[in-house]
This record gives sequence, structure tokens and C-alpha cells, in this order.
Amino acid sequence: MENDGRRKFLGVCLAGATAAAAAAAAYPVFRYLAPRSDAMGAKKLEFAVSDLPEGEAKFFEYAGSSAVLVKTSAGAVVALSAVCTHLGCIVQWEKEKQDFLCPCHGGRYSPDGAVTAGPPPRALAKIPFTVENGKITVG
Amino acid sequence: MGLFKRLYDWIDLRIGAREIVKKELTGYLLPRNINEWYSLGSVLLVIFALQVLTGMLLMVYYVPDAEKAFKSVTFIMNDLPYGWLIRLCHAVGSNMMVAVLLLHMLSTLTMGSFKKPRELNWVTGFILFTLVQGISLTGYLLPWSQLSFWATTVATNSAAAIPVVGPYLVEFLRGGKLVGPPTLGRFFAMHVAVIPVIIAATIGAHLFLLKRTGISTPPFGPQEASPPASAPAASYHYESHPGGIPFFPNYALQDLTSICVYFAVFLAVVFYAPNLLFTPDAFVPANPFQTPAHIKPEWYFLANYQTLKIFPSELLGLSVQAAAMTFLALLPFVDRSAQRNPLKRPLFLACTIGGILLWIGLTIWGHFS
Repeated sequence: MENDGRRKFLGVCLAGATAAAAAAAAYPVFRYLAPRSDAMGAKKLEFAVSDLPEGEAKFFEYAGSSAVLVKTSAGAVVALSAVCTHLGCIVQWEKEKQDFLCPCHGGRYSPDGAVTAGPPPRALAKIPFTVENGKITVG
Repeated sequence: MGLFKRLYDWIDLRIGAREIVKKELTGYLLPRNINEWYSLGSVLLVIFALQVLTGMLLMVYYVPDAEKAFKSVTFIMNDLPYGWLIRLCHAVGSNMMVAVLLLHMLSTLTMGSFKKPRELNWVTGFILFTLVQGISLTGYLLPWSQLSFWATTVATNSAAAIPVVGPYLVEFLRGGKLVGPPTLGRFFAMHVAVIPVIIAATIGAHLFLLKRTGISTPPFGPQEASPPASAPAASYHYESHPGGIPFFPNYALQDLTSICVYFAVFLAVVFYAPNLLFTPDAFVPANPFQTPAHIKPEWYFLANYQTLKIFPSELLGLSVQAAAMTFLALLPFVDRSAQRNPLKRPLFLACTIGGILLWIGLTIWGHFS
């Protein structure tokens, strides 16, 4: 009986040591494979206002995702996420129609990101920006 | 415990787990005088598994492109969390695999375990040894450093000494006249796809043969009774060990002990001597126009490298090596005496010790030459 207790105790110790070793090996592997936080960070980006003609859009990478700056024909600047709210495809700027089209399932958005047609459930997410001294600062 | 037993019963009912465990583990008997050297095969299996795992992890970030390879390795080493650990485990592990494989072969050699009926075990083991050398050579180029670039240049160039086909063979190996981006592509494919699959298949064959012929009895210590004389010598006979010790848990514990000892040595190198295997040239990107001084192959190729240098012609050096390797590969068919105890085989013992000393001597000479 005493022998059984000792055997059980040693078994528990061995199982604990094995679990600790497995965790010690798994943690570096998890950290190695996990997405890097600096790649996902929202760094501020600057663009010259003159680089964005009226009625045009400029796509860029922001916070690990796709974003777009639009200068409407009325001259207003808008910064939006370029990720369609339906199934995550990237929207395209249609200059002639002055709106965004998601080619995946035909969702349409106005230049300020509001849904105008198709399946998207909500508007494109807005991204904070400022315009100062001829420079657009996103983020 | 109740849940565990119910789960085990459930599996047992479907695949006969208890029968498999009895046949392959608890009922698989080994000779009573078995020693720790027999556990090196298990250590090698663990090393191979770890190499596959760390290799897969490295492939997540490594870019097999001459322009990006060095940068990707630097990124893994310096920027990724624990990237250095994964990469060092892979690099140190490859050297350890060769070292343990040499010890495994040495124990097989000294205990005469390669002899009848285990000739094929030795041959498949020898094939594994050459494959491991091949996978190490192809992997050595991948970091695309000055060291890897020029060591590969020297290593592939030695094939040029083969008459008639030599120069073409070198070009074929490199994918061009010199080591360059095409070499990286083909070495990468060989390293991550072709050779590992062949190694895995050969390990399968090696283990199958081990199970078919049975574990050999060490020639030292108390010997088991000989098989019945009526057994026909020419027909297949499985060497069982009635009255022996079960593989599980008895010898599995020895395997585990050897694996722990291996990990102690392996991790000591990884953590306390990580640059043991890297020269300063390993930290400089490959430059095809600048040959560094004193480029040497890895330690296990130093004896081959020095042999090529001491003979007046490269062809002669290659021929001597080819003859030595062929002799070693076919040893079971040359050394056919039944006696396996090295202490009762003075000529064999002298040749083995002489061969090992020669190999060590050439390695040291190659290192300092």
C-alpha cells in the first residue's frame, strides 16, 4: 500500500515534469509563429495632398490591413478601410462612377464609405486622419 | 482513471490495442545483458523528429532565394521571438545527428551486430549514414552565407576529379558552372523534400529489419542459451529472447535516460556554446566574387577533405575514399566469422581502433591544415 502511494506520487511528479517540459517547448514555438505585434501596429503615415488629385483614390497598407484615401470631386478627403464589410475582399475605386466596388459579390459603397448596393451589412470603417500644411497624416 | 480505462477499452475493442501493446511493448523481450549502447537508435529517432519539426518551423520564414535567403535567416535569428532557438536547434541538431549516428555505427561494429543475419540492417544503416551526410551538405548552403557558399563550392568541386563525367556532374549538381541561385533551388528541394522522404523510408526499412531479425545479443556478459541445433541455418529464424527483459517499461526507461542525456549535451551546446559550429564567415552574406581564406567543410567531412589533399591527384584521393566507404558498406559480407566478441578478435579490434585513430587524425589534420 505504501509502495502504491510512492508509485503514484512519482507518477504524478513525472507527469508534472513532462507537462512543464512540454509547455516550455511549446511556448517558444507559439511565440515564433504568432503574428508580430509591430507588423500589426498602426504607425502614422503621411501623404502630400498634391499627390492625391480630385476624384482619385490612393490605396496603402495601414495597421497590417488595406486602407484607401479618396479625394472626392467636391474636394473632400476621406480615409477608409479598404476591406469590404461583407466577406473581407478588398474594394476597388471606380473613377468613372466615383464609388467603390467590391468585385467579390458586387457590393458598392459611396466615396465616404456608405453602402449603396449589394450584400455588405455596414459601411466601410473610417480611419482617423488630419490635413495640415499640405500633408495628410493618417493614424 | 475510470475515464481513461473506458477510453482504452473503447480503442481496444476497435483496433486491438492491448494485443499490439503486448506484442510490441510489454511482451517484446530483449536480451538480459542488453546495454545502453542499444538505445542510440531511439536517440537518433528523436533527433530526426526534432530536425523535421524545427525544419518545418524554419520553412515558415526562410526564403529560398539567393537575394533573400541570408536576410531571412538573419531575420529568424535576430527579429523573431525564439527564432534563434529554433534555428540553433536545427543547426546543432544536424551535427549531433551525425555524431550520434557515428556512435551508433561504432557500437554496432564493436559488438558485431552487423553479422549474419543482420547484414541488411547494416546496409540500410550505412545508407542512412550517407543520406544524413547528404542532407547536412544540402542544408549547409541554405543560409547563403560566405561560409555556406564557399564550403559548398569546395564540396561540389571534388566531384570534378571523377574521370569523364566529373566536370558535367559538378555542373549538374550546381545547376550551372558555379555555385549560384540555381544551386540554392536544387539544394533546397533536396534538403526539404527529396532526402527527408528517402531517410524516412530507409528508417522504416531499418526498423522493419530490426523487428524481423530480432535484437542481437551483446557479446559481453552472461550469454543466452543457443537456439536449438535442429533449426535449419539457411532458413529464416527470428532471434527471440525467452526469459529476457520486456522492452516496456524496462528498456523504454533506458531509452528515455539516453534521450535525457542527449538533450543535456545538445541544449548545453545550444545555450552555452551557440557559436561552436559557426565561423565568422557564417555571419557574412555570400559574395561570389570574394573567396574567404581558409574555407573548411564541416567537421565530419574534414577527414575526407584532408584525404583529398594528401594524395598527389584528386582522383586517387577520391578512389581511396570510395574504396574505404565500399569496404565499410559491405563489411558484413567480408567479415563472416561467427565470433562477435571484439576481445576475441584481435585483428578486427586492431583494424577498428586503427581506422578510428586514422579518421580522428585526418580530421584534426584537416582542421589545422
